[in-house]
Amino acid sequence: MRKIWLVIKREYLTRVRARGFILSTVGLPLLSVGLFALTLALASRKTDHPLKISIVDNLGGLTAEIQKGLQEKLPDGRPRFQLVSTWDRPAPADMVHEKLTRLVRDGQLDGFLEIPKGVLTGEDAAFRTLNTQDFQTTRVITRAVNNAIIARRLNDRGMHIDDLDDILHRVNLNLVKVTKGGEAEENGQSALVQLSIVMILYVTLLVYGVMTMRSVLEEKTTRVVEILASSVRPVYLLTGKILGVAAVGLTQYLIWTTTAALISTYGAAVGATLRPGASPLNLHLPVSYLIYPVIFFMAGYFLYASIYASIGAMVSSEEELQQVQMPVTLALVACFVLYPIIQRAPNSHLAIFLTMVPIFSPILMVFRITVQTPPFWQIVLSLAICAGTTVVVIRIAAKIYRVGILMYGKRPSLMELLRWLRYT
Amino acid sequence: MQAVAADHVTKRFDTVVAVSGLDLHVEQGAVFGLLGPNGAGKTTSLRMIMNILVPDEGTIQVLGQPASERTQDLIGYLPEERGLYNKMKVREVLVFLGALKGLSEAEADARVRVWLERLGLGEWSEKRVSDLSKGMQQKVQFIAAVVHQPPLLILDEPFTGLDPVNATLIKDIMLDLREKGATIILSTHRMEQVEMMCDAICLVNHGRAVLAGDLRAIKKSYGKNTVRIEYTGDSNFLDLPELVEKLNHFGAVVEVKLRPGADPQEILKAAVARGVRLTRFELMEPPLNDIFIEKVSEAHA
Repeated sequence: MRKIWLVIKREYLTRVRARGFILSTVGLPLLSVGLFALTLALASRKTDHPLKISIVDNLGGLTAEIQKGLQEKLPDGRPRFQLVSTWDRPAPADMVHEKLTRLVRDGQLDGFLEIPKGVLTGEDAAFRTLNTQDFQTTRVITRAVNNAIIARRLNDRGMHIDDLDDILHRVNLNLVKVTKGGEAEENGQSALVQLSIVMILYVTLLVYGVMTMRSVLEEKTTRVVEILASSVRPVYLLTGKILGVAAVGLTQYLIWTTTAALISTYGAAVGATLRPGASPLNLHLPVSYLIYPVIFFMAGYFLYASIYASIGAMVSSEEELQQVQMPVTLALVACFVLYPIIQRAPNSHLAIFLTMVPIFSPILMVFRITVQTPPFWQIVLSLAICAGTTVVVIRIAAKIYRVGILMYGKRPSLMELLRWLRYT
Repeated sequence: MQAVAADHVTKRFDTVVAVSGLDLHVEQGAVFGLLGPNGAGKTTSLRMIMNILVPDEGTIQVLGQPASERTQDLIGYLPEERGLYNKMKVREVLVFLGALKGLSEAEADARVRVWLERLGLGEWSEKRVSDLSKGMQQKVQFIAAVVHQPPLLILDEPFTGLDPVNATLIKDIMLDLREKGATIILSTHRMEQVEMMCDAICLVNHGRAVLAGDLRAIKKSYGKNTVRIEYTGDSNFLDLPELVEKLNHFGAVVEVKLRPGADPQEILKAAVARGVRLTRFELMEPPLNDIFIEKVSEAHA
C-alpha cells in the first residue's frame, strides 16, 4: 500500500507542477472571468465625458423632438450629450456652418448635427465630427433624428407618435422550462451551459485518458518500468498511476467548479454593479450541474484510463499509439454525434439505452440530466453499469499491463493479447 | 544460506521455452558471473529472481526466502536497457526509486545526497535527468541500484558506455560493497571482466546451465593447454597441425590451443628454427572467452 501511495504521489506531483497543467487549470478560468469582466467593463464605458454638440435645423421645429432622443445618461449619471447651441432656420446658414466647423476643429465642440431643408422628402442629415468611429454615439443620434422625423410626418397626418408605439408594440415569446423545483426562465443560456458541460467532459476524459496512456508508454520507452517492476507489483503500479492522474483531474475539476460556483453566485451581482440598469444576467447554475459532471467524470475516467493504459502497455512507440488509440477516441467523439438524439427526446428508448452504455454514459447521461433530469434510478443504474464494466476492464487492463510493459517490438495481435491474459 | 538458489526453473512464453530446468546457485558474498549468448534466457532468469516474472515450474529462493514481493526490497537492479524519468530532477528520481525499495523518503534523500557526492554528481542533483550526459545518467542509474544497500545486487552490463575513469570508479564501489557483505550477480558479455572479477559463473545456453561452478576450478579442469605468444616475424611457424588444435590471432599476440598430449616445447623450437623473435611465451589455462565459445558452439553442433 505504501508503494501505491508513492506511485500516486510521484504521478500527481510531477503533473501538477508541470507548466501545462498550471496554465490550463488556473489560466482557463482566469481567462474566462477576465474576458467576462472586460466585456462588461468595455460595454459600460461608452464615452467617458458628455459630448458637446450643436444642432443646426434648416427645416425648423425639429430641435425639441431630437433633443428628446438625446436624453441618455452616462454610467456615472451625467448626461451623454450636452447641447451647446441650437440654430432654428439660421438666416446666414453658410456662416453658421463655417463657424461650427471651426469650433469642432479647435476641439471646443465635439460635433454638430445638420438637418437639411428637404429632410422630409429624403434629403440626408449630417453629423460633422472629428471621430466618425464612435458607433454608439452615431446610433443614438441616428435614432433621435429618425424618431423626430417620423413624429413630424405622423403629426402632419394628424397622428401622434405615442399612438404608433401602441400599434407597433411587439409580443415576446417566453420559453419557460418546467423542472422539478418549479419553473425557470429559459433564455438560451442553458443550452450553452449544457453544451459546455459536454465539451468539458469530452476534453477532460480524452486528455486524462491519453495522459495515463502516455505515462505508461513513457515508462516503457525510457525503460524505467524495468526498475519499477523489480520494486512494485505491476498491478500496484497501474493502480497508482490511474489514481495519481485521477487526482490531477480532480484538482482541475475542483478549481473549475469552484470558479463556476463563484461566478454563478456573484457573477450577476458583479455584472449589475459594472453595468447598472442593464438586464440582469442569468448566471445561476443548478447544483446538479456542478456535482453530476464530477461524479460521471470519475466513473468515465476510470473506465477510459484503464483502456488507455493497456493500450500504452501494448505498443512500443508514439506512432503505434496513434493507430491503436483511434477506436477508443472515436467512442468519445461519437458522443458528439449522439447528443442531439438526447436533446430532442431525452426520454426515448434510444436515449435511455445510450445513457446506459458505459462508454457513452459518462458524457451522455450528464447531458441528459441537464436537458431533462431522468428518474433517479436511471442515473444510479447508469453509474452502476459503468462502474461494473470498469471493474472488469481494470482487471483485464492489469493483466495486459503486467505482460505488456516488459514486451518490446511487434505489437501483439488479438490472439496474442488473449494469451497474455492467461500468463502468470 | 545461499544468496540465490534456483532449482529446476522453467519459464515458457507461448510456444517459446525461455528457461528450461535451470539450476542456479549463488553463494553469499560472491561476485557471480551470469554468462550466455544473446537470447539464452539470462534476462528471463534475472526477472524471475526479482519476482518480476513467476516461474512456471521450479522454485527460487532469495537469501533463504522464496522469491516474492518481500525479497524484492533485498535486491538492487541495474537493467541493461538504461533509462529514467527524463523530466524529473536527478535527486527526486533517486529518492522515489529508493523509497520504492523500502526506504523512508527522508532516509532515501540523505543517502542519495551522499551517493551523488561520491560519484561526482553533487552539483547535478537538482538538474533534470535529460540535462545529464549518457555517462552521468548511467551513474545515476547505478545509484538507484545501490541506494537501499541491498544484500543482493544484480548488474546487467554495468560498464557499457562508461569511460575508463568511471568504469574504475564503479568497479571499486562494487568491490567495496562486496567487502561489506553484498552478493553481486554480474551479467555481461565481456569475458575479461568476468575473469578478473568473478568467483563463480554460470553459463546459460538455450535456457539451461551448460557450465557452472567456481571459475578457478572450471579453468583448472581444462588444464594448462594454451600458449600465449607475443612475437615479431612470420606467423607460419605455427603451421603445426599435429600439435595445434586451434589458433586465435590478435595481431602481435596469438593464443595457441594445444592438442591433448602435445609438448609446448616443440612450438618454441619451431619458432626459433624459423627465426621468429619472441617477446613472450606463456603456458596457461584457456581464456574464458574460448571456454564460452566452445561450450556454446558444442550446443549448436
